[in-house]
Amino acid sequence: MKLKIKLQYIATPAKIFMAVLVILCLLSILQGICIEIERTYARAKRLTAKEKPEAELSQEERRQDRIRSSSKEFLADGTIHLISRLERTSGQRNQSEKVQIYDVNDKLLWEGPRDKKPYEYLFWDRQFQVSRDAFTQQDLKRTQMITPGFSRYIEIPVSSDSKIEQIWRYHPAAQYFKGYDMRGETIGYVGSNGFTESKSEVKPLGEFRQFTAWCPVDSYNPILLLQTQKSIYQINFEKQEVELIFESTDSDIRRVNLFAWIDAKSDDKEYADPNKYRPLLHCETRDGKHHLILREPKQQLSLNLRRPSVSVVATKQDIFVRNIGSDMPPLPDINSSQQLVDKWVQEVQKKSWNMWTELYKVKNNGELELVNSYKYVRPPLSEPVAKARDPRPVVQRYVCQFSPPLYDLIIRYFGERFWSGSYLYQNRGDFFYDLLKVILEIRPYDGIINRILSVIMMGFVFWHGWSRRTSWARFIFWLIFTGLFNIAGLLTYLALNHTAVIKCPVCGKLRGLTQVDCVRCQGQLPAPERGKLDLIFSA
Amino acid sequence: MRFSSLLHKEFRECLPWMLLAAILFVAVTSVLFQTETYSENNSYRFSRLSPGTVISSYKITFYPAMSETGPWLFFLSIGLGLALGVRQFWIPNFTGTWPFLLHRSVSRNTILAAKLTAASIAFACSIVPIWVGIYWYATRPEVFAVPPTFRFFIEGWIFITLGLVTYLGAGLSGLSTAKWYTTKIFGLAFASLIIITTFSQRSLVWVLTLIAVSAAILLSRIFDTFLRREF
Repeated sequence: MKLKIKLQYIATPAKIFMAVLVILCLLSILQGICIEIERTYARAKRLTAKEKPEAELSQEERRQDRIRSSSKEFLADGTIHLISRLERTSGQRNQSEKVQIYDVNDKLLWEGPRDKKPYEYLFWDRQFQVSRDAFTQQDLKRTQMITPGFSRYIEIPVSSDSKIEQIWRYHPAAQYFKGYDMRGETIGYVGSNGFTESKSEVKPLGEFRQFTAWCPVDSYNPILLLQTQKSIYQINFEKQEVELIFESTDSDIRRVNLFAWIDAKSDDKEYADPNKYRPLLHCETRDGKHHLILREPKQQLSLNLRRPSVSVVATKQDIFVRNIGSDMPPLPDINSSQQLVDKWVQEVQKKSWNMWTELYKVKNNGELELVNSYKYVRPPLSEPVAKARDPRPVVQRYVCQFSPPLYDLIIRYFGERFWSGSYLYQNRGDFFYDLLKVILEIRPYDGIINRILSVIMMGFVFWHGWSRRTSWARFIFWLIFTGLFNIAGLLTYLALNHTAVIKCPVCGKLRGLTQVDCVRCQGQLPAPERGKLDLIFSA
Repeated sequence: MRFSSLLHKEFRECLPWMLLAAILFVAVTSVLFQTETYSENNSYRFSRLSPGTVISSYKITFYPAMSETGPWLFFLSIGLGLALGVRQFWIPNFTGTWPFLLHRSVSRNTILAAKLTAASIAFACSIVPIWVGIYWYATRPEVFAVPPTFRFFIEGWIFITLGLVTYLGAGLSGLSTAKWYTTKIFGLAFASLIIITTFSQRSLVWVLTLIAVSAAILLSRIFDTFLRREF
């Protein structure tokens, strides 16, 4: 009996928790189905709708639009050309897209397929992360997810005479590679201090961020370029070499761009002519500094500029930096208030802004020398988009009115900075942030319908529970619970509290059967009438 | 004495299911060992690398050796949990043996404890030794080029504990007196939610904590329902 009483304090909350969790999941699934049906229908409608004819633009407006949408490319001598795409011709799948090349004075220099253009422009470094062959932190998180087929591992083979001789596996928790021969015996470890034979000697590489791997032209064995929080390593497993390419002592690495770094075949997309370009690794740290690591010959430079979106390339003769800028105010931090971001968007959309593309040459001391620049005006949007309180589609807005008001309370309590983390790239694939995103998608947004529904449901619970109440605390708890959880709360209440009622023989009002005494008149439950079986007891 | 008799009776009822699970798992694992060792020795996994190209990350991320035992271990654990839960808590409703059992001179706590202990022993004697044996053999030298890690072993244990959670969920649903279209199925639904949540996690500590908490919730509900229910 004592166990029964003690268990009640755990089992009753557990029962409520289980019921509301299951019902909330079912409700979310139903809401998700309705929202996705609407999205699919809207997408199909958009695809089949006839395109509205564009408003007639004046010649000047067409020119400004062409300039805005053109790519601005540089020749090695600093000359700027504007490359504008023409429409693709439908039905001709193999045709290279047609382009027009203008100079800065709007003179048409050439027109034709892009792959036949007579000019050779400077290529620019590409962001490590953007490359589809980069293995990022999010990919590592995905490999570590528990699945029925277990989590996955990064394994690098080393072969000799077309026979695998070693396999190096990355251990994410320990932040090093562990090597095995083909008999399953451990042969060594790879860490920040290079190749070691024992586990006690190896030092961790650092918190993983991303890597890219390639096979050199003369080998089947991969080389890794691995970036951690503050360092970049190049690891050659065949030669058992670990080269520290870059290390930041102060701040974390924000972005890494590569150009001609990878030893690729001529038909590979990463190939760059080694007679024209030098291998380059361009690293930007979080304090805004840009570091260049070059080869052939080896050189390391730090650039004195604090601009976010610069691209770099190193030819055999010079090092160039391209900067694209404008006089728009900087975008507020994504973790700051959404109102600031909305205000920034409104301001940017309604005005015209000066834009420019600049080409700099880098001197040996890291100073920049302006070679050329091109300025143009970005016109304002014709119709600035007004920000609605609830910007979601209509069906989603109404379906979400059945969501718990508790979601809005929690969002308000934790603040926007907490929730905006669910949209950050580095938090993709994280269960916790994915759950936050679901709540943000189906929150009621303080809708008046949601509040009215909650009040109606509370009223129903009041009417239903009045005759069945066993204590005031329970009664008030269920009222508040229903108010916070809306329809999920109501269904939970009914699932756990719908009991039979009878008329009290003393006061004549409805009463529940879970309590011996009537809550109104304290009358006892009616005793059963004596029947034939009572002969035994009546004697 | 009473507990041991009950335990003996419950274990006898679990025996066919645990033998079935064990035989299936051993049979499948033997075949998988043969195919996996053949594949490893011929290094088929790394035959797609070519010189002068950037390697796609998918060409160097692999499941561990014997990973194909995972789905079998998972579904056999779930199946064993379901079978034991139904056998111990649903079937007596149809055969009418609850009143007979409860009118013995033994407390309800003892009856429930015997059932839970028998199910735990069924898991411990069928799937667990085979899983431990698989890991031990796979990590021996000269079996696989890259032996599975300790994390692989722990993940297998997670699948086994999910089977126990399914057993508890099935048991709770079996004991519930509600209608099937109301809250009777909530025990199984809760267990299903825990399984789905497990498969979106990366941290072993967090997963084991989640399973422990959910098992505690289900156990407390089973005890409370069994002690209060009128059969």
